[in-house]
Amino acid sequence: MYAIRTLRSQPLRLALTVGGIALCIVLMFFLLAVYRGVADGSVDYIRQNVADLWVLQQNATNILRGSSLLSEGQIDAIALTPGVRTAAPVLFLLSAIRKGDKVGTIFLTGFDPVLGLGGPPQLVRGRRPGADDEIVLDRSFARKFGFEAGQDVDLQGRRLKIVGISCGTNAFVIQYAFVTLRFARDLIGIPGLATCVLVNADPGAGLGPVREKILGRSPGLEAYDQATFLANNVREMRSGFLPLLYTVAVIGAIVLTAILSLLLSVNILERRKDFAILKTLGSPMAFLWGLVVKQAVLIASASCAAALAAFFPLVRVIERLSPEVSTKSTPGQIGGVMAAVLVMSLASSLVAIRRLRRIYFLEAFS
Amino acid sequence: MSGFAGPAPVIRLDRVTKVFDGSGRPTTAVRDVSLEARPGEMVLLLGPSGSGKTTLLTLIAGLAKPTAGSISLFGKSVGDYSTTELQSLRADRIGFIFQTFLLIDSLTAAENIEIVLRFSGRRRAERAGKTRALLRGLGIEHLADRFPRVMSQGEKQRVAIARAISNDAELLIADEPTGSLETRQAVGIIGLLHEQAERRKATVIVASHDLRLMEFADRTLRLKDGMME
Repeated sequence: MYAIRTLRSQPLRLALTVGGIALCIVLMFFLLAVYRGVADGSVDYIRQNVADLWVLQQNATNILRGSSLLSEGQIDAIALTPGVRTAAPVLFLLSAIRKGDKVGTIFLTGFDPVLGLGGPPQLVRGRRPGADDEIVLDRSFARKFGFEAGQDVDLQGRRLKIVGISCGTNAFVIQYAFVTLRFARDLIGIPGLATCVLVNADPGAGLGPVREKILGRSPGLEAYDQATFLANNVREMRSGFLPLLYTVAVIGAIVLTAILSLLLSVNILERRKDFAILKTLGSPMAFLWGLVVKQAVLIASASCAAALAAFFPLVRVIERLSPEVSTKSTPGQIGGVMAAVLVMSLASSLVAIRRLRRIYFLEAFS
Repeated sequence: MSGFAGPAPVIRLDRVTKVFDGSGRPTTAVRDVSLEARPGEMVLLLGPSGSGKTTLLTLIAGLAKPTAGSISLFGKSVGDYSTTELQSLRADRIGFIFQTFLLIDSLTAAENIEIVLRFSGRRRAERAGKTRALLRGLGIEHLADRFPRVMSQGEKQRVAIARAISNDAELLIADEPTGSLETRQAVGIIGLLHEQAERRKATVIVASHDLRLMEFADRTLRLKDGMME
């Protein structure tokens, strides 16, 4: 009762503290949601395009942060390797789409519509491109530039019709767009070129032997199974994003702990006479520590509740304003942040509790 | 020393001196004081402001250590009590009354009493019952849910006394308990303290400069410049 009453006796200060801490928590929720959204979004393309093997030029371990070029001869050699059922070449290019004076960079993905592999993983509207003058745009990209299915777009001076809108194709820094392989090759003017080949093996052929045969026939290539290639891409995304996210999250946590420690310390200083009285009247130190810890936990709980109430509406606003920001929150993430906040509140109370030792009995008599 | 006959003394001070070493300039607050007080006795420490009364009270309660001399509390040297034992003594056997009442502003009258009962390990139901009984006994049941800020000085001091005796204190220590009260209220309060000594056989030590209290005390000890006159 004392813990609650003391906090409630300064409603404005309490509101500001809870608000400040809630913002820190929202920041942590948001960073984790962005991380999860980016980590999932950037590899959904690979996750959904299931192939037995992804064949790339040696030293290229992933598609977003690696450079790989396979010649027509290499692609043919892969396709003709015994045990290979299908070999679907895919060409990735960085390109730009214009709409009026707006220019948006896209990760243009040329795939063979007949073989199907390498195309958009999921469509939210329309269909896959079947002809060379058709394109599928990522949903976030389309939203950001106001494109809709059925409209025409200008890509390096060529007119393409938007026939579909895809999801799971937002890699945060760039979004995928899908065209036919022939169109993509035509765009760069080098026929037969591809970035990678998605290989499916004959049933019973065995992945290991097929891989060995491909690499034996075409030196300078590397072939990854689906799980390894997915892990490579996830690792690449994490190495690019995690340090930044961690830094900001740690700053948020430090600010949160500092605000809470400050409030608790100020509370103790303002109420030091109360604490001196309680000490004189025979309060065990554990009781006084309990008061401070209770206050810390109360503030942390109120802040978590406020953060939860604010977070989801805020994310909707942010995603509307910046469609390329793709977020994904899980109960595990939310629970993890709340557990971390609880730990930080306990750490803050430990900082504040140190002040209790410096309150003397005689202060009650002064 | 006391000539009061009866059971063993609750407190015994033998040639106690307390020196405060403030910024390298030592100040002697209490010098060579000896006294005893027994159960059922009300002792008045009379002296002007700055005579060392409050320091003496804190020494008696084991809240401060003497620079010289020895203090015995409930038959045992204060120095032999551990910190936890002293805390338990204050929670279970000693009651405090202060000049400015020192109620916790954010708690109601009942909560101010209950919080002390928690320190002596009483259960919730027992605490509530005891608090009600105390408030009723002192005629202030109507104040139970009021906060100190809306109480008169006399009401506050009655609540403070209820708090002090809530643990059935064997030793009541009152620092200028009537200092903030008008005569009628002061007489009522000191009457209550005297009743604790007489009826419950509590040892009551009152520090004051208020000469009106002399007629209620079993003994009056005069302090001046930290020394017993």
